[in-house]
Amino acid sequence: MRSSQQWLEAADAMLAETIASAPAGTATDAEAELYRRFAPRIRLFGLKHLRDEAAAQDLVQQVFIVTLERLRAGAVRNVEAIGSFILGTSRTMASAQRKVGSRRTALLDRFDDRNTMAFPIDAVTFDLPRVVRCLDTLPLRDRTILILTFYADKPAPEIAAELQIAPGAVRVARSRALARMRECVGAPDKARPRGGSR
Amino acid sequence: MSVERCGRGASFADLVDYWAGDLTGADAAQVEAHLFECAECAKYLEEVVALGHAIGEGMRGAHFQSIVTDSVLNRLSRDGVRIRSYAFEPGQTIPCSVWPDDDLVVSRLRADLTGYTNVGLVLAREDGVEMSRIVDIPIGPETTEIIDAVPAARLRAVPSCRLRLVLSGTREGREQVIAEYGLEHTGTETR
Repeated sequence: MRSSQQWLEAADAMLAETIASAPAGTATDAEAELYRRFAPRIRLFGLKHLRDEAAAQDLVQQVFIVTLERLRAGAVRNVEAIGSFILGTSRTMASAQRKVGSRRTALLDRFDDRNTMAFPIDAVTFDLPRVVRCLDTLPLRDRTILILTFYADKPAPEIAAELQIAPGAVRVARSRALARMRECVGAPDKARPRGGSR
Repeated sequence: MSVERCGRGASFADLVDYWAGDLTGADAAQVEAHLFECAECAKYLEEVVALGHAIGEGMRGAHFQSIVTDSVLNRLSRDGVRIRSYAFEPGQTIPCSVWPDDDLVVSRLRADLTGYTNVGLVLAREDGVEMSRIVDIPIGPETTEIIDAVPAARLRAVPSCRLRLVLSGTREGREQVIAEYGLEHTGTETR
């Protein structure tokens, strides 16, 4: 029996292998650790492609239900590539979600152990006044680029057209501004302890 | 951790480009695949997205003064931010007020910016007390207007007085005033 700390240090493939080789529903620590690692990535994928927080959260649940079903059934052929499997499942389910709406209810009805996926994702957040203060310290052009990127949802060529500079300059300035912001803002407020993917 | 790359050598700038929609096709798919293999990059992007979310919250809440573009103003309007706008020609003085339900007060400052660099904007009371200073305003060859957005809450705290906006810049090696604008600030109005 592994301790929680050992699960934190386990490779992704080891978690997947443990879930696949255990009787269904008994590798709860490994399942929880796999969820902890990949739920934020699926959420990001969902936010990127579905542009909606609730839809992204739904996607996390759907993808994990399928992933655990497939692992428990021994249907994941290459557990070494569990990240790739989860990404592929995310792509398929996001595409389906876009086409036919949420399948969450039906999937949850099929799945008999919801505890692993019951807790919401503890998303990283930053203290707003601190972010505002840090944003104020940026050169105005960099600040404007971040606002246009993250608030107005503009890609670099559109920002470049608005500011009458080159798209490459926008990308360089954006990257530099984010590095400065991360340094200024410091650690997020709700970062979870994380184990690494290996 | 490197400032620019993860332990596996992937570029953090590529992650941001991916998120911003500046990568397409195979490049975007490659970054996406890496995200599902690399906890470090996933964490980085999660923090960047959280920062972006906070910036959005700051904009929607009219928390900071900034030079903005029309596309930002359009987005603010769509988000329900209540904006009061004043348009100025160089040398013009106009009465301005803040209303209790205003979120943001926008000054559209028209000017001939041809040939200027290092453009800055100072807001000062008539007695010379400086209230804000913005430097290095991004302008291009086609810029004819500076759009200054100020939180209404900040202006509500200003009593009735005359204010001056001075737009300056560097041209032919000399710093000079580009245009001045006057505001007859009448404080906070009530309905």
